Amino acid sequence: MSSALPLEQPAAAPLGAIAAAFLTVSVFGFGGGIVWARRIAVEQRGWLSDAEFLDIVSLCQFLPGPNIIGIAVCTGTKLRGAPGALAAIAGFLVLPWSVGLALGSLCLRYAQAPLLRHVLGGVSAAAAGLLIATGLRLLLPHRRRPLVIGLAVLALALMSFSRLPLPIVLLALLPLSIALSTARRL
Amino acid sequence: MKPASGLLALTLHLAIVSSISFGGFPTVLPDMRAFAVTSHDWMTDQDFTNIFAMAQAIPGPNMILMMGLIGWKVWGLAGALAASTATFAPPCAIYFTAFRLMHRFQEAHWQRVLRSALIPVTTGLIIASGVVMAQAAAVTWGALAVTGAAAVVMLMTRLNPLWLLAAGGALGGLGFLV
Repeated sequence: MSSALPLEQPAAAPLGAIAAAFLTVSVFGFGGGIVWARRIAVEQRGWLSDAEFLDIVSLCQFLPGPNIIGIAVCTGTKLRGAPGALAAIAGFLVLPWSVGLALGSLCLRYAQAPLLRHVLGGVSAAAAGLLIATGLRLLLPHRRRPLVIGLAVLALALMSFSRLPLPIVLLALLPLSIALSTARRL
Repeated sequence: MKPASGLLALTLHLAIVSSISFGGFPTVLPDMRAFAVTSHDWMTDQDFTNIFAMAQAIPGPNMILMMGLIGWKVWGLAGALAASTATFAPPCAIYFTAFRLMHRFQEAHWQRVLRSALIPVTTGLIIASGVVMAQAAAVTWGALAVTGAAAVVMLMTRLNPLWLLAAGGALGGLGFLV
C-alpha cells in the first residue's frame, strides 16, 4: 500500500487512461497479452488486485471469444461500468486495427511478389508451430489424465481431418465432455 | 468484387462462430478456412495463409485484424469493418454480461463442471488450428521443419514468439522452404 491517504475513496480511473492502458496491451501483447495486462492493471496502475485479475482471466478463458479483449472488457467494466468497457475496447482496437489494416492491405497487394510470398510462407509455418505449442502447453498439466488427452485428440482429429464446421464439432463433443465431467471422470 | 450477399453471409457466420469460439479465436481458424476457401471460393488457400501470416506478424489484435483482412480482400473497407465487428462485438457483449453475473455464481457447481469439460475440447481445437494452418501453407519438408522447430522452441523456452516469426520469415525469404 503506497497510498498516503488511505481513507480517501480511490479516484475513478479516467476513461483516457483505461484506453491508453489497453492500447499498450494490444500493441505489446505479442503472444502473451496476459503478461502486459497484468503488468499494467495490477502492478503499474493498481486498478486490480492479483486475485481480482485471476478471477477475470479464468472467466475469460471459460467464455468464447478472443480472451485478451475479454480482459479489457472486464477490467473496464470493473473500473467504470459500460463506459469503461467501451474505452477499453476502443483503446485496444481502434489504432492498432487501423494501422494493421493499412499495412496488411498494402502487403496483400504485393503478396504475389515471390520474395514476399516466401517470407509470408515462412512466417505462417512458424505461426502454425506457435499455435500447436500453445495448445500443448495448456494440455501439459493434464497429461496424466487419459480421458482429457483422449478427448483432446478426438477434437483435434475431428477438426483437422473431418472438415466439419465448428458448431457441429462442438455439438458432438461437448455433451460427451460435460457428461464425463459431471461423472467426475475428467 | 463479390456480391454483397456474401458479405452478409460472412458477417453472420463470424458472429456465430465468435460466440462459440471457446478457448479463443484460433479455434475458429479451420472452420473459417473451410468457409472462405472451400465453401465460398472467395480466396485461395494461398491468400488465406498470407492473411494469417500478416495478421500474426503485425502487432495488435491479430485475429480481429485477420478477419478484417479477409473482409477487405473480398469487399474492401465495408468488408473489413463488418467482418471485424462481427468478430469482436458478440464476445464483448458476452464478456460484459458474464462479468456482471460472475460474482453471483462464482462457486456454483455447474461452473466447475463446465470448466473442466471445456479443457480437452479447447486444447484439441487450438492444436487443430495449428495443424490446419500448417497444411494450408505450402507443405514442404522445410516448412514442416519450421513449424516443428517453432513449436518445440515455444514449449521449451520463454523466447519472445516474435523472434520465431522473424526467423520463419527470414528462412522463407532466403528460399529455404520452397
